[in-house]
Amino acid sequence: MRNTLRKVILPSIMLILAYGFWVSPDFKEISAGVAIFLFGMLALEEGFRAFTGGVLEKILKKSTDRMWKSLTFGFTAATVMQSSSLVSVITISFLSVGLIGLVEGLGIVFGANVGTTTGAWLIAGFGLKVKISSYAMPMLVFGVMLIFQKSKSMKGVGYILVGLGFLFLGIHHMKEGFEAFQNSLDLTAYAMEGIAGILVFTLIGIIATIIMQSSHATLVLIITALSVQQITYDNALALAIGANVGTTITAVLGALSSNVVGKRLALADVLFKVCAGIVFIVFMGPVMGLVDGISSVIGLADDDYTMKLAVFHTIFNVAGVIIMVPLINPLIGLVTRLFKSEPDIHAQPMYLNEASLEFGDTALEALRKETARIYEKAIGVIAKGLSLDKEDILSDAKLKQVIRVHGKAVEYDIDEVYEHEIKSLCSAILDYTNRLSADEATSRQVSRIRLANQSILITLKDVKHLQKNMLLYIDSENPHISAEYNRLRQRIAKVIRRLENIRSQEVSSTSILSLDALKLTLEKNMGLLHGRLDELIREGHISADMAISLMNDSNYTYSIINSLIQINHNYLKSEEGTETEAEHRIALNREEINSVLSDEREVAERR
Amino acid sequence: MKFDNALKKKLLKRLKSYMNAEAEQLQQEDDGLSKVLKKLKKKEKHLKELIAAERDDDEREMLEQELKVIRSQRKKGITLLSSLRKKGNK
Repeated sequence: MRNTLRKVILPSIMLILAYGFWVSPDFKEISAGVAIFLFGMLALEEGFRAFTGGVLEKILKKSTDRMWKSLTFGFTAATVMQSSSLVSVITISFLSVGLIGLVEGLGIVFGANVGTTTGAWLIAGFGLKVKISSYAMPMLVFGVMLIFQKSKSMKGVGYILVGLGFLFLGIHHMKEGFEAFQNSLDLTAYAMEGIAGILVFTLIGIIATIIMQSSHATLVLIITALSVQQITYDNALALAIGANVGTTITAVLGALSSNVVGKRLALADVLFKVCAGIVFIVFMGPVMGLVDGISSVIGLADDDYTMKLAVFHTIFNVAGVIIMVPLINPLIGLVTRLFKSEPDIHAQPMYLNEASLEFGDTALEALRKETARIYEKAIGVIAKGLSLDKEDILSDAKLKQVIRVHGKAVEYDIDEVYEHEIKSLCSAILDYTNRLSADEATSRQVSRIRLANQSILITLKDVKHLQKNMLLYIDSENPHISAEYNRLRQRIAKVIRRLENIRSQEVSSTSILSLDALKLTLEKNMGLLHGRLDELIREGHISADMAISLMNDSNYTYSIINSLIQINHNYLKSEEGTETEAEHRIALNREEINSVLSDEREVAERR
Repeated sequence: MKFDNALKKKLLKRLKSYMNAEAEQLQQEDDGLSKVLKKLKKKEKHLKELIAAERDDDEREMLEQELKVIRSQRKKGITLLSSLRKKGNK
């Protein structure tokens, strides 16, 4: 039912949008702006991903490890870029790829809010507006050039530049689209006194900033309106509050394409600005007194409202940060509750805890259970990576049939699950084993569990490589290449099924030795594929490119199956006993497996 | 001071195992190998029955392969056991 609904919703939305585009060119421009902006976010995240675990991560970690450092970082960035929303958007992409945490991210966003006040001073004092959006086109050009480079970090920088370029371009198109509405905005029409005036102008400030995609642009509008006395000073302050709230729209838009952590940051940003806005509306009277006081101290004339607005803007943002920094933990608690993260729930170790660490046997059991859990997860990922379904692989259905049913290539982001679930669980295991003080025998078992986890990571990386061509060829029009790739899928699925049977056998049933038959099949299939590959090339059934892909991917398949066997070997072997030891000694090594294989070949030839 | 028989036996066994740790180790290995070999023999018999009953060619081929592996494993196990016993007799 849900699937059918999904199938209906997307085309319906597309139809509605298409109608909208036909009816209103402005709507088309705005939508295109949003799309370009979101694409920019994706490119930005792709760029930052290239730097995870590298220099950028170290720099970011070092410059945000204390709250004051995060605040300074945000302040400096926003002062240089002259846009707090852009800093928020970049922070969201940092968060999405795990370069920084939510606390650090919020620190940067808060700092950026103070940094953005320098813009009000520049506008009010010098009428100066730094227009960073004019760099969009060069950024795109240089970015694309860098993307074509071989070096990973060059590519990363390229994606970041392209991402920023698209962000600016997207904002530009949104602005263009909204221009029609902007021209019809006559502030005098809404002039009102008292609290009603403040509320209405706050709302206008929010709307105007959403429309113009820049709180700076709203500030320019306010200052102009104020200088020609289109609006009162109170209303101008309310507009500035609204502009500050409205500017969060960029972060909200950015969070649309981000993961749950990015969404949390965007929500925290909105809450922060809304709270600060409410506080300032409530205390508008005393705040105006404070602004007047500070203005007279720094020597501003009583009627120099434009500079006073800059003072107000600064007080507003600095006070907002002073109010919110002590409340950062409750704020994080709230946004985490509101945006529950599914991957994070799974990524928490279930069995590893401090209590079990005390006792060698219990700790070992906890490690075994946790490893089994990661393995289960990994099998699910492998199945999806091969455009298959885990339940179907483990069912009683014939595998040929299963492969036929799942004949269409389905995109699946292995990296996402790898980064957010498997990798964090494996590191939790590694961390746990490092803290475990164990005797010699336990250490041996622990080291096998560690090896099993290592093999899980290797397997997933190999599946990721294999997935690339598999998506291309499993439903290819060339029946020969599609048959070969489906055969590779079937072989992996067969091994997964067989391993599941072995794992579900009783411990007393020589499980380790059962793996030898799989090793034999692995070697045999490799030989068979080489033979078939020669024939396919000779007969001209597949192109040279296809042949190279197939050769590489059969090696990946070999490695995946081998790792799967190794995982189970080390996992089963981690339960030590005299029989396990004996099984290990009897288990056939690669040469012995090959000798069984050559005996088999001889018998076949004699026939 | 008097010892009852059970306690005497227990103490003697401990003394013997202490004096003869290597032999004990060999005995344990012997036990382990023998048990696994027995299980393999049982498994071989079971597989033969499965092969006889299997109609699907692919499935039968896989079972036959498994049987070959088990035979090699048994062969290896028997060699290991006999060399272990030779070592114990020396």
